[in-house]
Amino acid sequence: MFELIKRLFQSEPTSRNQANERLRVVLTHDRMNVSSEVINQLKTEIIQVIARHFDIDGTPEVNVVSEGRNAALDINIPIKGR
Amino acid sequence: MDKKLPESKVIVVTSGKGGVGKTTTVANVSSALARVGYKVAVLDLDIGLKKLDLLLGLENRVIYDIVQVIEGEIELKKAMVKDKRFPCLHMLPAAQTRNKADITPEQVKDVCEQLRPDYDFIFIDCPAGIEQGFQNAIAAADQAIVVTNPEISAVRDADRIIGMLLSAQFDDDDIGLVVNRLRPEMVKDGNMLSIDDLVEHLSIDLLGVIPEDKNVVISTNKGEPIILNEKSAAAAALNNIAMRISGKEVEIPTFQEESVLQKLKTFGRKFFSTM
Ligand SMILES: Nc1ncnc2c1ncn2[C@@H]1O[C@H](COP(=O)(O)OP(=O)(O)OP(=O)(O)O)[C@@H](O)[C@H]1O
Ligand SMILES: [Mg+2]
Repeated sequence: MFELIKRLFQSEPTSRNQANERLRVVLTHDRMNVSSEVINQLKTEIIQVIARHFDIDGTPEVNVVSEGRNAALDINIPIKGR
Repeated sequence: MDKKLPESKVIVVTSGKGGVGKTTTVANVSSALARVGYKVAVLDLDIGLKKLDLLLGLENRVIYDIVQVIEGEIELKKAMVKDKRFPCLHMLPAAQTRNKADITPEQVKDVCEQLRPDYDFIFIDCPAGIEQGFQNAIAAADQAIVVTNPEISAVRDADRIIGMLLSAQFDDDDIGLVVNRLRPEMVKDGNMLSIDDLVEHLSIDLLGVIPEDKNVVISTNKGEPIILNEKSAAAAALNNIAMRISGKEVEIPTFQEESVLQKLKTFGRKFFSTM
């Protein structure tokens, strides 16, 4: 009973949520045949290339998004205007 | 007895990870279809580690095996083991003292072509793994059933297998997902992946859901198909899968019961409404 009342009030992620979170990442990377390491490296390189030509303004984002079994790179890099 | 359907279907049951319930699924779904009069052949391709004969309770009736058939030592028809309880069910045993590399995908295709005219359904029990044994098992199949457990390691392997099936001859529509060993009470408590979670991760259609059920072990001990047990939830689930494979449009029971919390809330509502 105490367990139940405690659960009602705490919002810790359940092990099911954690499993879902981990699976989302690992399946996306498995399907693309890359590791998190490679994705992070890619992120750094993309931002470096852009920074050579533009002034980056704010936080650049490079993420892998998946739609069903397909994945895409979602790149959002804010550029400073004149 | 004659076959019922004009076209026969070859269905491979696979998973990647071992021990998730492939052989249990093959044994029971094939028995369920044979029970209602479909002509069913089951092929054990787990060469070297055979178990299908045990699950069907046919281990004492095995004389020849698939490797002997392929090597031309014995006629295919003579090697098929007949099941006394289900006259429409025939099994082609695996060889226990040979290797997966002793046969080729082409040879399995050839066996299936020979069986097609006599059977409505041909089920192939695939070994765990993604190597030669897997390639042999999928080569002849029109459709694939991917069995998984609600557990991250099994889901990851299932995803790999689905990828490999999609790069082989299978389309999305040819692949069905079976979730085995679901424990609804754990899902409700937030401690197990749910059916919806699994379907979302794997992006293939759901064919069936089999709950964790101790009757599976009891039936296996006895060498009896579980589908004959009227009281078993797993039996109901396996019969449901068989019906869906035969083309009946029945709903999938997903065994999502109310959680303790939910029950408590309902109780609270009822309790207070009487005051
Ligand atoms: N729904 C269930 N409830 C309880 N036990 C189960 C259930 N399904 C399978 N089992 C048990 O799990 C074990 C493995 O099942 P099974 O042999 O069908 O798996 P498999 O995928 O064919 O394994 P392998 O990869 O070794 O061929 C068996 O002991 C079986 O009794
Ligand atoms: Mg097996």
